[in-house]
Amino acid sequence: MNRTLVRILLILIAVAAVALPAFAGDYPLQVARNIMLYMALAISWDMLLRSGQISFGIAGLFGIGAYAAILGVVRAGMPTWLSIPFAAVFAALVAFLIGFVILRLRAMYFSIVTLALGEIFRIIVHNLHDFTGGPEGVVMQQGVMFGGNASKLYWLVLAGLLVAIAASYWFEKSRIHFALTAIRNNEISAKSSGVDIFRWLLLAFVVTSAIQGMLGGIFVMSYGFAAPDVVFSADFTLLPLAMALLGGVYSTRGPIFGAILLGLVAEWLKLKIPYGHLVVYGIMIIIVILFMPQGLKNLLKPAAKRAEGRSA
Amino acid sequence: MIKLRTTNLTKRFMGLVAVNNVSFSMEEGEILGIIGPNGAGKTTFINLISGIIMPSEGRIEYKGQDITWMPAHERARIGIARTYQLIHPLENLTLIENVMVGSIFARGHSLKEGRRRAENLCHELGLTDLERDTSRLTILEVKKMEIARALANEPEVLFLDEVMAGLNSDETKELIAMVQKIAREKNLAVGVVEHVMGVIRELTHRVIVLEAGELIAEGKYEEVSRNPRVIEAYLGGGAA
Repeated sequence: MNRTLVRILLILIAVAAVALPAFAGDYPLQVARNIMLYMALAISWDMLLRSGQISFGIAGLFGIGAYAAILGVVRAGMPTWLSIPFAAVFAALVAFLIGFVILRLRAMYFSIVTLALGEIFRIIVHNLHDFTGGPEGVVMQQGVMFGGNASKLYWLVLAGLLVAIAASYWFEKSRIHFALTAIRNNEISAKSSGVDIFRWLLLAFVVTSAIQGMLGGIFVMSYGFAAPDVVFSADFTLLPLAMALLGGVYSTRGPIFGAILLGLVAEWLKLKIPYGHLVVYGIMIIIVILFMPQGLKNLLKPAAKRAEGRSA
Repeated sequence: MIKLRTTNLTKRFMGLVAVNNVSFSMEEGEILGIIGPNGAGKTTFINLISGIIMPSEGRIEYKGQDITWMPAHERARIGIARTYQLIHPLENLTLIENVMVGSIFARGHSLKEGRRRAENLCHELGLTDLERDTSRLTILEVKKMEIARALANEPEVLFLDEVMAGLNSDETKELIAMVQKIAREKNLAVGVVEHVMGVIRELTHRVIVLEAGELIAEGKYEEVSRNPRVIEAYLGGGAA
């Protein structure tokens, strides 16, 4: 495909995405919202992965953002629109503080600690009964944002997704790309080229956590409700991870592609074989990882380039 | 002018003393050979100077500034560069992008300016077809890329850790000439670790010899190679 064609195609997709509420009913809009939410989480996970750090803490930061937003509205009387950037800033602040400790860890130690932190956040929220509402959760008395208008809620999630895509492109096109790739490849030679490893990891961790927190805020504002088991659900960690792996990591389009595919398949399977759909998706992911370790995004490359990638 | 000086530099790993009380200095424009039998502490010594590991005792000065505890990435910024014995090209970056990393981080150039400088360096070293994947490079090209990556820091002190290893004699000659030319043009202080004595003889102005972490001899290659202690270190106590 040549560049102009790709551009035209992208513009058409963008127009269709923005205009979707004009011709789609409530059900497809709901499906699209879900897919976009997971897509944005998948992109944010991939952004940190580019430095070689595998986080299992997506749900933790998503949940923190969700609670920051809803408690901001319910306890502090914050306007709903403000609660979403507040969720992002709050998650970023938490990430900044814990980053000082956990970004000294590597490989599975980092992964396990991020997983444990998510669980710790959930338990804290669970137990601070008076402030957070405990296991029963919190309800927004004033109701869902935009009075539950399906189109506006759809655009809200779309806006969140665009923020994630823009941040991901920034990571790809700026010096951040060089810093993170150098760190992932070899930290010692990165240092010798003047890369301040801790600083760049902290930046990546804070930015991706802010995105995850913002999405938590968007989620909770569009449902008007938060409970620990809902917003800290392992789904928010596992599905984005699966989507990014399926589509192909270290890029923006990989997670986008993976989220569309897995999201649509999951939706369809849910109708065909309720509960059994998880098994099918597990199998899909295993097949892709075994036979296409670079993910499905590789299928979009010209054949010659693919062959080169294989021999390399 | 003295660029780099160590005083009583020592590194212990548990009980093992890898570098023991080494004091030396390097002048600008000088190519210094660092030789010694396997396990003598040559690479550890370079690791200490480049900040990859921290010393147990002693002091490192660069242009009169105490840098003993300075982190590695800051040493790269003030002008200390090195290559690695085991080469790790950054696999997901192309040849030119590998070289750019030093320009944009150690020197803080913009991506555009960093790329321009990296291109110039590659041309100086005779590297072409710069958008190639690093897996497509020949051994000589990988070695040149490694040197270009270090030079992208625009250093004043450069350490080359066995860059000639694995090259045939023509390639070695080419690289020796190249290192000499660059050192002269950029007025660098260059430290060279090498096992092939022919390379040391041709390339260096002066040599230091390490054995079991200690500096046992220092001087011109011709003098040092006749030093009985050095001969014994290389042949082993029993054989001598």
